[in-house]
Amino acid sequence: MAADPEPRLVLRRTVFWRPVFWRPVLRARATLRLAGLMAAAVAVLSLGAMALQYRLVATRLTEAQKDLLSADLSGLGALYDQRRIIALRQAIDYRAASGGQELLLLTDRHGRILAGTEDRWPADVAPQGAGFDLSTPQEITRGTGRWLVVARELPGGFGLLAGRPLAPVDATLAALKRGMIGLALALLAAAALVGWIAARQVMGRIGRLNRLADQVAAGDLEARLPGPRKADEFGLLETHMHHMLDRIESLNRATHRLSDTIAHEMRTPLNRMAARLSAINGQEETVSQLREEMRGAIRIFDALLDISRAEADHGSGGGLLPVNLSTLAEGVWELYEAAAEEKGLIPVADIAPGLMVLGDRTLISQMLANLLDNAIKYCAPGDRLRLTLSPGPLHLLEIADSGPGLPKGMGDEIFERFTRADRDRGIRGHGLGLALVRAIAMRHGAKLSLPATGQGLTLRLEWPPLTSG
Amino acid sequence: MCLTRRLWCSESAMTMTDRILIIEDDPEIAAAVANEVRALGCEPSHRDTLDGGLTESASGDYRVIVLDRMLPGGDGVDAIAQIRAGGSRAMILVLSALGRAAERVEGLEKGADDYLPKPYEPEELRARLRALLRRGTIQVADNDLMAFGDLEIRLKARTVHVRRSHVPVSPREFALLTFFAQNAGHVVTRMQLLETVWNLHFDPGTNVVDVHVGRLRRKLEEAGAHVIRSVRGEGYLFAQSMAGEPGGG
Repeated sequence: MAADPEPRLVLRRTVFWRPVFWRPVLRARATLRLAGLMAAAVAVLSLGAMALQYRLVATRLTEAQKDLLSADLSGLGALYDQRRIIALRQAIDYRAASGGQELLLLTDRHGRILAGTEDRWPADVAPQGAGFDLSTPQEITRGTGRWLVVARELPGGFGLLAGRPLAPVDATLAALKRGMIGLALALLAAAALVGWIAARQVMGRIGRLNRLADQVAAGDLEARLPGPRKADEFGLLETHMHHMLDRIESLNRATHRLSDTIAHEMRTPLNRMAARLSAINGQEETVSQLREEMRGAIRIFDALLDISRAEADHGSGGGLLPVNLSTLAEGVWELYEAAAEEKGLIPVADIAPGLMVLGDRTLISQMLANLLDNAIKYCAPGDRLRLTLSPGPLHLLEIADSGPGLPKGMGDEIFERFTRADRDRGIRGHGLGLALVRAIAMRHGAKLSLPATGQGLTLRLEWPPLTSG
Repeated sequence: MCLTRRLWCSESAMTMTDRILIIEDDPEIAAAVANEVRALGCEPSHRDTLDGGLTESASGDYRVIVLDRMLPGGDGVDAIAQIRAGGSRAMILVLSALGRAAERVEGLEKGADDYLPKPYEPEELRARLRALLRRGTIQVADNDLMAFGDLEIRLKARTVHVRRSHVPVSPREFALLTFFAQNAGHVVTRMQLLETVWNLHFDPGTNVVDVHVGRLRRKLEEAGAHVIRSVRGEGYLFAQSMAGEPGGG
């Protein structure tokens, strides 16, 4: 018995059963991902460029304030060289009165303020050095903003403090930052929009191809894209796809033609042989054996053609009509039940009435006949044979017997052509019955599986039901 | 064999022989079919192209047309509508190498009255030609009661009596018996039974039909009616030994 109730066949069908509506979302995912990636790359690059610019502006503006401070210091230095503290005091008084931007303070050695824009020496600033240059500048926070200051102790214990505000720098940088954030957001939005438009265009072009592929997969080999093709890579892809479809179509036609030709070329000489056989008198036994052999050869040959035709038509809904699966099952069961009873089996059928599927009446009958014939062939007198058909999301058809089951080590390969177990060499057959069953199941979109049971062989078919609309 | 002739050649037997048209491109097979036709007491005529056959079917008064499929000029099955349009009321038997179940069903759906795949067995062809010749005349004999000696089949009540006592049969056995009775005196093949009684158009490879015929036969024989016998290598024969005539005839 198969340990895995999900054979390859079932997996193939799963693809067929996927609901169609979420496919576009899935298809769009790759394109959207690409667009998102492009938008993110643009945004990261722009943000990097903006950060660099921010740094440059910040440095440049601070340098400008430093230059101003340096000019202040050299001016004060020149005055000090001429008339020492008196000149400094006059100049600072004058500057403080004129209300400039700068910070200036002159104290005596007791820390008393001689002149300046401040009334107190800032606590967090200690004088460093005595020169009028820009070495050892300090940053302090006063009031609402940052200041760049230089503190000196001049000969005689006089303290000098000169500073320039960094607030204009900070204000400019803050404005720049706001502008940049706005720009970054606008950039992201623009990148997303451009990405979306690009993705939509690509999706549109790819969607055409996907719809064509779906149509072909659904069995319409003659489907082609309408209208002219553009001279871009998509147009080229469409042309390639058309060439491919032309080739598939002609191969498919050739296959159908070939099977007809083979049928004709093989059956016609057999027919002549049959005609000549009937002219032979007095050897009825041999003639009837030869005829049975000929019939057997034709059956193998028909089964092979039926399998390849059903496989070729797989996925195409063409040729399928609403059929009453219950009635078909009852009919075939009735035909084989007598044979099962005659062999001493215990046949039981439990068929729910009125279950409709989309199918080919003859193929389904053939399939059920193969399954029942198989079960009867392998079971021994006293074995049970059960056919169950019950409704559900998928109509469930099971043929279960209490016979010898599958040979050890065999699973889904029993559905392959010409597969026969060594154990069964003595039993008539060519290993085509179950291969035909699988091909017919696939043709109808029915899931075929071998559920594990304790005894015998159970074969399960799950049919997509036909809902009356 | 007076009964037999009267059944399949009906009223026309008085004036002329039934004519059968063979449209077949293989001369050897055409000759073999013509031999079977003559063996039935009918007159064959042969055309080896579709166009020739179409013209002939419209001009001649044929009871049956034996039609090949892969002919020079096209597929015989596709030409059935043209044969009908030409005014022919002949029964059409498609005899073709395209013999898979799907192809047989296709042929029947396109208007063929019967479909026999090649290679055919001469007995099978004869049985089917006879059945076709009888069709159309059997309706005249259609009545509620069919009687074969001690055996009585009541069609409306769907009951079977042997020597006045009721023999219980299943619906399928009744259909089987009716088909036998309608072809009384002639060999009926297993494929014919599968096709007409079970409406199945494939060769199951096993003799499932034999089991059903065997059961019906036992029931009838236990009641005293020995009406079905098997013909080796051909099929079954109903009521051949009975001297009685169908009740409605």
